[in-house]
Amino acid sequence: MEFQKHVKVRQEKFGAVVFETLREKIFVTNESGAQILSLLQAGKEPEAVTNELSSMYDGDPAVIKKDVDEVISTLQESGIIKN
Amino acid sequence: MIENELRPKVNEFEIQGTNFSDYQSPLFIAWQLNSICNLECLHCCEEAGEIMPNELNREEVMDFCQQIVDLNIPYVAISGGEPMMHPDFFKICEFFRSNGISLKVETNGLFINKEVAARFGKLGFRSVQISVDGASQDTFEKMRIKGNFKKVIEACKFLVEAGVNTEIVFVPTKFNIHETGKLIDMSYDMGIYGFYTGKIMQIGRAGQNWDILCPSAQEYEEFFKVLTEKEKQYAGKMKVYYYPYDVIEELKYRLEKPSASLLVIPNGKTKLIGPLPFVCGDLRKSKLSEIWNDYQKAWKKDEVISFTKQVIENPELLKEANKWREL
Ligand SMILES: C[S@@+](CC[C@H](N)C(=O)[O-])C[C@H]1O[C@@H](n2cnc3c(N)ncnc32)[C@H](O)[C@@H]1O
Ligand code: SF4
Repeated sequence: MEFQKHVKVRQEKFGAVVFETLREKIFVTNESGAQILSLLQAGKEPEAVTNELSSMYDGDPAVIKKDVDEVISTLQESGIIKN
Repeated sequence: MIENELRPKVNEFEIQGTNFSDYQSPLFIAWQLNSICNLECLHCCEEAGEIMPNELNREEVMDFCQQIVDLNIPYVAISGGEPMMHPDFFKICEFFRSNGISLKVETNGLFINKEVAARFGKLGFRSVQISVDGASQDTFEKMRIKGNFKKVIEACKFLVEAGVNTEIVFVPTKFNIHETGKLIDMSYDMGIYGFYTGKIMQIGRAGQNWDILCPSAQEYEEFFKVLTEKEKQYAGKMKVYYYPYDVIEELKYRLEKPSASLLVIPNGKTKLIGPLPFVCGDLRKSKLSEIWNDYQKAWKKDEVISFTKQVIENPELLKEANKWREL
């Protein structure tokens, strides 16, 4: 997953803020969205993100996968990451 | 004016953290690096020309840059005066870019030749914005006193050739408003990334020259019609962006929702927002992190709220914008 060139992500108390500086658009997300973002930023593939979060939280991988997919599709629709 | 552009377009994944005070530090720094300028534009909101007494020295400038990096501020816009006249202009830009900060520069373009454009190209700017207030030499130079239309257009071409995301900023006045459509077409032909415009603000020299500059309601109506058409015509090809609010509407909005940004002027003081005279911090006295807290408190002060309301009632008070008042 490659982030667009002028996108900046910053972790915040409430989660994270994503600043698409080329279009000057600001997006915010909660803590779980922030965690997904940070793993994606570290270059992890969606499957690896799901696995890592599942083992970290001992959660249902199917539910976590759904969350990860949702965040990724929002990021794509918003022009934050490349399709 | 740069701070206008950060009016958030509500488009969140989830509605949280949208209040400016939820952020650990500003998301954006609008930095008027200097006050000196080689031009004497009739509309200049900064009344630029001479060096401002007590401007930050070169060491203080670099210390400020380091604080921006330390606070993980994602986006900086450098303006002036003419920022390219600062002796450390490129050193500052290189510092920000090497630390991954998104960077925009606003310039009159007169210091950009082929070699300089190539230097911009290597740095991967978010954008270089060139002020082009007219589609012909005559109108441009009537407003941009001592300006040189041909050189500025050449600068745009050099930047585009060097692969720089180049934007044109156009301020409409009685002199040039009829050339809006023509300038947008020219921008597209030159390979410009985006065309930015909005109503002229009654601040600084524009306030003094208001009668000869301010377009009529009818001229503005036509202007926005042209912009709507051009936006459609160039959709997907070139960004045509116009800020639909005037400065008074902006102030009304900001009173409710201040932006998560700081405006720093050449002497290191931080203003609440360009159109108001209030100064809420001083880089010589406080750290940027402290100024961020003071900025948040300042918007809640009675003095700020009541004066802003007075300006909204009586736009003549915009003339006070550059007569700083310490909070
Ligand atoms: C103050 S200048 C500084 C940068 C550089 N010297 C230049 O002219 O681009 C920044 C931008 O503000 C615009 N500007 C100046 N006075 C203005 C006013 N009264 N209302 C709106 N924009 C203004 C300029 O045209 C320019 O695009
Ligand atoms: S608008 Fe820019 S170029 Fe013109 S006088 Fe002001 S600072 Fe100088």
